[in-house]
Parts: sequence; C-alpha cells; structure tokens
Amino acid sequence: MIGRIAWRNILRNKRRSLILVVSVMIGVIAMILTDAFSVGMMQQMLTNQIGADAGYIQIHKKGYQLDPVLKNSITDTVPVSRVLAKDSSSCNISERLRTFGLVSSAYNSAGVSIVGIVPEEETNVTTIHNHIVEGSYLSNKPGDILISTATAEKLRVGLGDKVVIMASRLDGSIGSEACRVTGIFETFDSGFNQTHVYIPLETAQQMLDAPGRVSEFVVNPVDAKKTDPIAVRLESELPSELEVLTYKQMLPILVMQIQLYDQTIYIFYAIIAIALIFGIINTMLMAVMERTHEFGIDMAVGMSNRRIFRMILTEAFYLGIAGTALGLIVSAAVYIPLSHSGWNLAMFSESLNSLGVGTTIYPVLGVSSLVNTTVIIPVVAVIGAVYPALRAVKLQPVEAIRAS
Amino acid sequence: MDTKEISGEIVRVENVRKIYHDNGVPVDALRGINLTVSPGDFSVIAGPSGSGKTTLLNIVGTLDKPTEGKVFLDGEDVSSKSRRELADIRLRKIGFVFQAYNLNPVLSALENVEFTMMLRGIDAGERKRRGLVLLEELGIGELANKRPNEMSGGQQQRVAIARAISNDPRLVLADEPTANLDSETAVKLLELMEKLNHQDGITFVFSSHDPQVIERAHRLLILRDGQIVNDKVNK
Repeated sequence: MIGRIAWRNILRNKRRSLILVVSVMIGVIAMILTDAFSVGMMQQMLTNQIGADAGYIQIHKKGYQLDPVLKNSITDTVPVSRVLAKDSSSCNISERLRTFGLVSSAYNSAGVSIVGIVPEEETNVTTIHNHIVEGSYLSNKPGDILISTATAEKLRVGLGDKVVIMASRLDGSIGSEACRVTGIFETFDSGFNQTHVYIPLETAQQMLDAPGRVSEFVVNPVDAKKTDPIAVRLESELPSELEVLTYKQMLPILVMQIQLYDQTIYIFYAIIAIALIFGIINTMLMAVMERTHEFGIDMAVGMSNRRIFRMILTEAFYLGIAGTALGLIVSAAVYIPLSHSGWNLAMFSESLNSLGVGTTIYPVLGVSSLVNTTVIIPVVAVIGAVYPALRAVKLQPVEAIRAS
Repeated sequence: MDTKEISGEIVRVENVRKIYHDNGVPVDALRGINLTVSPGDFSVIAGPSGSGKTTLLNIVGTLDKPTEGKVFLDGEDVSSKSRRELADIRLRKIGFVFQAYNLNPVLSALENVEFTMMLRGIDAGERKRRGLVLLEELGIGELANKRPNEMSGGQQQRVAIARAISNDPRLVLADEPTANLDSETAVKLLELMEKLNHQDGITFVFSSHDPQVIERAHRLLILRDGQIVNDKVNK
C-alpha cells in the first residue's frame, strides 16, 4: 500500500514529477550515449590502427620492436612459414619488409616508413586496400608505389608520376628505386597517412639488398578473440630468436587509454549523479514541504517515522525508475540507428583524423554501461531523497498538523 | 517503565502544564490540568478560542508533550515515551477526528480507512473487508471508491470517523469535528458518534464550542485560560 500511495503522490503534481523524470531521463541518455560514443570512438581508434598497419599479432626478430632497423629483420623465414602453415585456415598471414627512408619528387621530399608488402596477402590483414581514393591498389609489378594523399600533396605528384625512394641498405650504402605512383590512399589516421608508402615486397628486398628478409609477419586470427592463445602458442613453437607481439603490446598507449577510460567513466557517472542528486533533493524537498500537514496527519494516525521515510524514498525510487526507463527507451531510439549508420562528424574531421578515429563514429553500447545506468540512477534518486525524507521525519506531529 | 495501574481509566492527566514561547515570551497554554477519562465516556472539552482545548487534546493524544505533569494512557505513562513508541501508542489506542477531516487526498474512502489497518499490519483482504463493513455501518458504503475531493464535508468526516475507529481504539479524540459542517450534517454526525458510543462502547473526547456537541455530551469540561473551571455531568 505504501507503494501505491507513493505512486499516487507522484501523480499529484504531474508537472513537477515530469520535470524530475525528464531530468533523470536526460541524465540516463547522457550516461548511455556518452559512454557508447566514447567506447565506439576508442574501439574505432584501436581497430583502425590494427586494420591500417599493426594487425593483431606480429612476429619479429627479438629486438626489432625496440630498434626497428633492417639489420633486425628476419633472415630465415622458412621456420616461421612452417609454423604459420598450421594456422593457415584460422589466421590470415602477411609478411613485410619495412624501413625508414626518403620519398622524393622533383619538388619535395618526405621522410617515410617504406613498407614492402605482398599486395594480395596484405588485403587479408589490413584495410589499406579499402582506402584507395585515386588509382588502384598495389600490384606485384616492380616499381609500383602506393602513397597517401598527404604525401602526394607534399611531393606535388599525382597518379602515374614518378617518385624516388631511398633508404639505407644493410651494408650502409644507400639503396634507391624509381617508382611510379599507381594508387593514392587516405586512411582515418592523418599521422599514419603522412608517414607510410607501400611498394611490393620484392622491390623492397631488391632496393635494400636484403633478399629473403622480412621485418615482420602479421598474423590476424579469423576470430580476433583467439589472439592471445594463438600468440602464446606461436611463441612456444617459433625459434627462440623471434618474438611474438599482440596488438596490446604493439599499441600499449591506446590499450592503456581504453583501460583508463573504463575507470574514468565513473568520474563522469559521479558528475551526472551529483547533478541529479541536487535536482532530486530540490524537488523532493518541495514535495515534502508542501505535504507537511499531511505528514502530521500520518504521524497522528500512527504512521512511524520509518514508514514515512520509506514512503518518500519509494517515491524517489519510482521517479528514478520512470526516468531511467524513459531514458533507456530514448537512448535505444538514438543508439540503434546510429550503431548501424554511424554519426557523421565530418565537421571535426581534422581533429578526428589526427586521433585516427574516422569522421563517422559508430557507438558501441556495452552491457556494463546498461547495467551501471540501470542500477546507478534509481539508487541516486533514492540517495537524493534521503535529506528530504529526514526533514519529513524530524517534523513534530503537532506542528506539522498546524502547517497549512 | 513508569506505569500506574489505574483500573477503569483510559486517560489520566496529572498537573499538566504547557508553556509555549511566542517570540520568546512564555505563554501558559495549560495551567495545571487534572483530568481522567473513563471507558465509555462521551465528553466534551468546551471553552472559548485560545482556552487550550486543542492543546489539551493534542497532549492527551500524544501529539504534543506537556512542559510539566504526566499523562497516563491505559495506565501507561506516555510523558517520556520516544517518538516511535508514541506513534505505536497512537496507532493501537487512539483514533483522531479533525476539524478539517484531513483524509489522505490520494486515497479513496476505503483506502483511507484501510490505511491505519495497514499500519497495524492487518493483511489486505481482512482490512478491505473490515473497511467496507465500517463504511457501510457509517452509511457511506457506496462512496468506498471515491476520493476525498469527490465527497461532501459530512461524507469526508464520516470517512474520518471510520478511519479513527478502524483499529478498535481505546479512545477517539475529536477536535472540533463539526466546525466545518452545516448544522443538519453536524447533527447526523453527532448521532452517528453517539450510536458508536452506545452500541460499541467507544470512548469519545471532543474539543468543541458547538452547542450541539455540548448538548449531547455526557460530561462537560469547561476550559478557560488553560484551566478546567468546570467539570460536570451533562443532563
């Protein structure tokens, strides 16, 4: 019966209750959508980086991660290929030879990471082929080169133009190659775009006088969740001079950022909760003050302070539940279509690209976010009602009855 | 526990004083009241406005505490009880009828009557049955599902009486119960309370200066300036 009375009390002042429900609803929407977009953004940053270059697992010669130079490349790829052959059905594999060098045109030059790839293998592990904005993806034809729009602009070259790439060979001499621009790419990451060019693996090996050498093998499990166990197994099966790194080790800052976010989101929740608490205190206090006389009568007929306290908290709880339910409905109405179409933030493309996110954010709603919101908000509503409820139970019956 | 076994007394008020402070100035609302109420009484505390009627009723009803003196309910000293204990005493032993009816506006007539039974822990089925019986007895059975704002003053006061007696109290305190009613409705209501007093032995103590109430009371206590100046059996 207390619940029924609480509900009817809520309906007494519909406008006031509605304002509170709407403010709770806005809090819920803010919590859910902010979290969904933040998680979506960070996951996109991670998947973009994995998709653009890193892959889920890389195999290097030990020491390459710290000193990524040619002399730290893998000389004998046969044992690696033999081990990886076992995973050919469950993983996509690509090999690369990578070095730092210079790409020059008649107008300008740029320091870049020159990546020698096997074009058809690379399409299975990275998404660079999806980001071709001009021309075509790299072929195995010697002398072809794939550069980014940023590099093309800097060098003032276009499709079909020639550029020269240069890099140090193993013996310290300079290897160079004249290449023709066959494709221009643009990923979501402006930093990445400025620093990467792609040439066929064989061209790279010839230019660097490093036949048969590769800097890394990229291994992408078909099921990304199996990354860790596959990495552990590869580590145990591969020769000891090689190291196996997962994306968590290759992109530690980004992974740490995501882990940090999981903690800092609670600060955001706390800010929303505090704002809501003050709103609830204010509204419930008004409701309590207006009903002072009524509480006096309740006390007169024998209602205990405990029950009065509980009734007020129940009212706040119902308001919290109503606001949460509405907030969840509105959030779902916003989230579901945006999770498919994404939210186009082209107006912020520059800053988003510098973060490697992309201009369209796809929100990702985790179960924990839903559970947190569904639990936190009604609890916050109840906490907000504690002070007004304490005020109510401190009323002296005779004085409360006299209140008009 | 400071208790006194006083057979045949529901209320005993001993040397009760009540001093209010009005802007720092002490005001003697009650000045040494002594009073006993016996089971089956139908008494009225009469007196001009400001004489202390409502204050006395509030103290007897444990809504207020005396500055001095003691109040015994059913032989139990209630002067030093905690708020929780007093709420429980009011729930079990006292029914209140107020001048302004004071029904819960969000509850129907039946729910208002059920409310006090709910506070006593009576289960839903039983309190609904008893509530309907009470409303029928008081002649407002057809209003069971009406809210207070859909009822006349007289009807609301009948619901208030039903609420007051729903927990079989030892005592019903009625503070100016007819003040807001027209005389015809007031008479009907008084007849109803007389009937409850006669048939069910419910003890009533009124505070009123309504001649109709005073006429019907079996015992008349005249209060003036915080003192009982007359306590007589009404003939």
